[in-house]
Amino acid sequence: MLLVPCPNCGPRNSADLRYFGESHERPNPASASPHEWRSYLYLEDNPADWLKESWFCRSGCRRYFTLERHTGTNEFRSPPMPGNKVGGKA
Amino acid sequence: MTRRLPAQAGEVINRSTPLSFKWDGGNLSAFEGDTIASALLANDKRIVSRSMKYHRPRGYLTADFWDPNGFVQVGDDPNVRSGHRLVENGMTIDPQNVWPSLDYDMKAANGLVGRFLTAGFYYKTFIKPQAMWPVYEKVLARFAPGGTVDLDTPHGYHDKRYAHPDVVVAGGGPAGMAAAISAASLGARVMLVEHEHALGGHLRWGNAEDRRLLDELRGKVEGAGVEILTNSTVTGRYEDNWTAIVQRSHPIAVERLIKARAKVLVVAPGLIERPYVFTGNDKPGVMLSGAVRRLINMYAVKPGERAVVFTGNADGDAAIVDLERVGVTVARVVDARQGENIVVAKGGAKALDSVELSDGSVIEADLLVTAVGWTAPTSLLNMAGDRPVYHAGSARFYPSAEIHNVLATGGIAGDGDADQLLAHAEATGRLAANRAAAVAHRVQDLTARALPVQGPEPTWPEDDRQSLPRDSHPALFRSTTHGIVDYSEDVDSKDLVAAAKEGYDSVELLKRYTTATMGPSQGKLETVNTVAVLAEARGETIQEVGTTVWRPPYAPITLGALGGRVFEPVRVSSIQSWHEANGATPILAGAWVRPDHYGDPAAEVTNTRTNVGIIDVTPLGKLDLQGPDVPKLLNHLYTNKWSQLPVGSVRYGIMCAEDGVVLDDGVTGRLSDNRYLMTTTSSGAATIWEWAENWLQTEHPDWQVHVTPVTSGFTSINVAGPKSRALVSRLVDNVDLGPDAFDYMQVRSGTVAGVPNCFMWRIGFTGELSFELHVPSGHGLHVWTALLEMGNDLGVKPFGLEAQRIMRLEKGHFIVGQDTDGLTKAPSLGMNGLIKLDKDDFAGKPELAWAMEQSLPSLVAIQTTDPAEVPTEASQIVRAGTNEILGRITSSRMSPTLDRSICLGQVLPEAAPAGTELTIVMIDGRRITARVMEHQAHFDPEGQRLRG
Amino acid sequence: MVDVLRFESPVTTIYPTGETEDLTLGDLSEITKQIVRADSKTAAAEQLAVTFGSSRIDGDVIVLGQRPDEFLLVGTPTATASLVEGLDRSGHVSVIDHTHSRAMFRLTGSNASATLEKLCSVDWSEPMTPNGAVVSASLAKVGCDIARLDRGPDRSYLIACDRSFAQYLFDAIIDAGNEFDIAVVALAPTLV
Repeated sequence: MLLVPCPNCGPRNSADLRYFGESHERPNPASASPHEWRSYLYLEDNPADWLKESWFCRSGCRRYFTLERHTGTNEFRSPPMPGNKVGGKA
Repeated sequence: MTRRLPAQAGEVINRSTPLSFKWDGGNLSAFEGDTIASALLANDKRIVSRSMKYHRPRGYLTADFWDPNGFVQVGDDPNVRSGHRLVENGMTIDPQNVWPSLDYDMKAANGLVGRFLTAGFYYKTFIKPQAMWPVYEKVLARFAPGGTVDLDTPHGYHDKRYAHPDVVVAGGGPAGMAAAISAASLGARVMLVEHEHALGGHLRWGNAEDRRLLDELRGKVEGAGVEILTNSTVTGRYEDNWTAIVQRSHPIAVERLIKARAKVLVVAPGLIERPYVFTGNDKPGVMLSGAVRRLINMYAVKPGERAVVFTGNADGDAAIVDLERVGVTVARVVDARQGENIVVAKGGAKALDSVELSDGSVIEADLLVTAVGWTAPTSLLNMAGDRPVYHAGSARFYPSAEIHNVLATGGIAGDGDADQLLAHAEATGRLAANRAAAVAHRVQDLTARALPVQGPEPTWPEDDRQSLPRDSHPALFRSTTHGIVDYSEDVDSKDLVAAAKEGYDSVELLKRYTTATMGPSQGKLETVNTVAVLAEARGETIQEVGTTVWRPPYAPITLGALGGRVFEPVRVSSIQSWHEANGATPILAGAWVRPDHYGDPAAEVTNTRTNVGIIDVTPLGKLDLQGPDVPKLLNHLYTNKWSQLPVGSVRYGIMCAEDGVVLDDGVTGRLSDNRYLMTTTSSGAATIWEWAENWLQTEHPDWQVHVTPVTSGFTSINVAGPKSRALVSRLVDNVDLGPDAFDYMQVRSGTVAGVPNCFMWRIGFTGELSFELHVPSGHGLHVWTALLEMGNDLGVKPFGLEAQRIMRLEKGHFIVGQDTDGLTKAPSLGMNGLIKLDKDDFAGKPELAWAMEQSLPSLVAIQTTDPAEVPTEASQIVRAGTNEILGRITSSRMSPTLDRSICLGQVLPEAAPAGTELTIVMIDGRRITARVMEHQAHFDPEGQRLRG
Repeated sequence: MVDVLRFESPVTTIYPTGETEDLTLGDLSEITKQIVRADSKTAAAEQLAVTFGSSRIDGDVIVLGQRPDEFLLVGTPTATASLVEGLDRSGHVSVIDHTHSRAMFRLTGSNASATLEKLCSVDWSEPMTPNGAVVSASLAKVGCDIARLDRGPDRSYLIACDRSFAQYLFDAIIDAGNEFDIAVVALAPTLV
């Protein structure tokens, strides 16, 4: 189970959090075209790279936050996680 | 006990505690410490099972946990590993996969036709005709291996715990012990996990020097403050060193699953001896050198009388010494290092009688010992991403990758003398402890509540361990003859060659096609031989062929261990004890246990419509909203407008998600200038809390609103019916309940039955005059019983969820999630007046604006032509005479008030106008007719009663 | 109609348990609990003087920093009320009485953390949860706020959960503690 670095609670099991996937800016609801709005609702870039994602620390501080994770290695940066990914070597 | 030897220096049996047990119906004796395998062999029982496919008699090959032939039934426990399970006094043990008996097995006829049972035989033979499969399945099931499961077996207590050790050491042999000792000496919290019943690994069946080392290491590790788990297995390693450990040695639990978040995992499983492939290699009497040495040295069991030893390494040589010491005649040593080889093990079906060598000689023997090399069980490394690499000179695989929090040591990492191996293990323990300290430093630093960390973050300790040498070893996989590769799956090397010729020549395909390596040994014995046979068939090297990937679990794991203690939280209201004592039939709604009814829901409806009823609606979600910007939040969450809600008033609203789909509905009341109470559906309470927080935290952090859930803080009781005002007024004295003073959709606070700080509002799902009381939960039961006592003469009766559902359907009120689904947008509900597109913004606004211009399905009230027909919920509505779907029934009930069937349904716009004739397909296939009603409410469409 | 209202605890059924008192579980649900919602920049937060994840004993009240902007005050009704009354309400500050919303238990003894380890994935070791630490986590799949508040030499935890889960959680803790011979004890609704 992935260890997720909650900025308030420290590293927590991913089951303690709710995962929202890629972070999207909410388009301006007054001017968004159907295409823009539905991209916000449904489309994901899904890169094999660094990705900004949204989390909710449901069992802990109950705060929403975003983290950057490398989807290939599960490495987190800022704060970097001491898992099998970064360690002191990165 | 014909085969028990005199006392051996390293024996683990306790001769002062004799045990008796039943095997296959007969009584046998053993000593405390015996495994079932050692006890059977001590009693000269050399055949323990029949093989899976050909039903050949099988004896012990490895006589340990991994023995592919040793599965037995112990009482009601099937598939017990008899090489591992210790004998207990009075145990009843039976062979499995035999019919009618171990000695005479009907199914051994399979063996006579064995040449037809090649790889893929079952797939190819029984696939057609498909209609026959149920018959085949029944017959084949009788031939399948495995014991019998008694469905009445009581559940054992399976435990579960979490752990946060600095270092988990998988393997309690000399390397694992040494690593644990050195890690603990640096202050690391260490868990040392050993698969066997005691620490020591191969030292346990070694010579005097091995035993001296074992005593020394065991003494140190027991004094080092290490948590030692014997008879326990690290079964898996997952993301961020989440390791699963199955502890079979817990004092009160059958098994315990430990979920350990190891900062560093040390993998020290040792090596597993590999069988040799040749004709007759599965005859009882063919054993691996480790089996023979365990039997002699640990269990004082003489494994045979006259032996041939085929050896390619020092362990085989040591077996010769052990055999001769206990009086076994070693008739011939066949030394692979000198180019000598064995070709065929001969004899009847049940016993070996001679061994044919490559030089043509035939040696009489009842025991053939092979020592041909090792499999490195790199499973846990594989799970961390390692892909082992084959080293031809030493004829085995080694870890290849550097994984910074998973470190290998011991035989899996290389060879060398004891000093070299211990030095490597100690260095590994130090590295593990130092890396764990660096990880711990950062974890502590990231965690607000933890003690402040001291000093700067340590630099990451580099791996400066000296690599272990790799001893040369002859490559010994298959002789010049064919034989069994996978004992537990009965796969022969001929099968593998044939499968490769059929085109299944990638190792992963070969594995799935032939099932080699897929049996209960999890490939520990078979994988390398499978790869070697395939390499030979393909004319390639073992490295070119590569191996299959070892996945969790390391060793098979019971479903009980995985289940552990099951956590299934249930929620109850403060009135639950009363409901239980008064005959309520419970229903589970989400996690809530609620009264469905108290015997007769129709009577509960009638009493509520005639007199007065009370229902426990505590699960209704309740959120306390405070702050100057609450109206902004309400305007954003609901589709309608909230800026002008007066203090003391309540308003209904619908919430949509950003895709315009209905998320929840409910009422919110304004209690004071800056304080509101929001209600949500019972199932939506948690979702709406998080939804509100999401907007407040991410899009509108400037809004000053505090959202706090108070669902359980208030016991909620709806008092409904024409006599509800009369009843409530008997319990409330500081609030004017008169229709002019306390109108429909208003909220008041006051004292109910002496309980202060209660809220009451005039709303109701039932359509009757009703007062919803929200009472501090510590007094909820008191108010409930007071209502029943005070209203006795008014005919007050409790009603349950079912009666409420009937009454709301009579009134045509929809339920989110019942009458709406994941595609239902707000305009489908017929309440477009509640969708205010002139607001600047609210959740889902753009989608709702577009949806208002589309023609969407509508929710309508429906009545069947025959008032007695109640279509099942989810029945399809179709175009008459066709199967073209026009909609579906979302709710249906028999109405006790109207004495007829009533429904709500979603239909396409063309079928929505009042009076449209509909065709409903009943669950039995009949088609009935029905009509769309003018009003969504079947009963009191003008709403006269609730304003009462 | 009634002179004295009795507080009805959500723990209504108590199964027989061990008799030693090495590990004890008590029901404190009646104790007064006030939630104060106040951002860390407010004067009220400064008065309460605890950071997220830590706690402070103030006479007959314990102040727990259980969310980044949320404090739980637990104690006697009068002491809690006077602390609340003395709060500077400037800025955005809310107070909600949670006495009836949350159940509260106290788990005490040398095996208290071993019992929690059977229910919860949090690391209860000294450096990660020192005395006074406040942790929000799932206990037997129920969201709880847990504070380590040792009693003398004994490990002790205050455990708060939603009232509706109280009986389930109480039973789950007893089940986990059975291996340590857990005993249920009666506790007065105070912290002493």
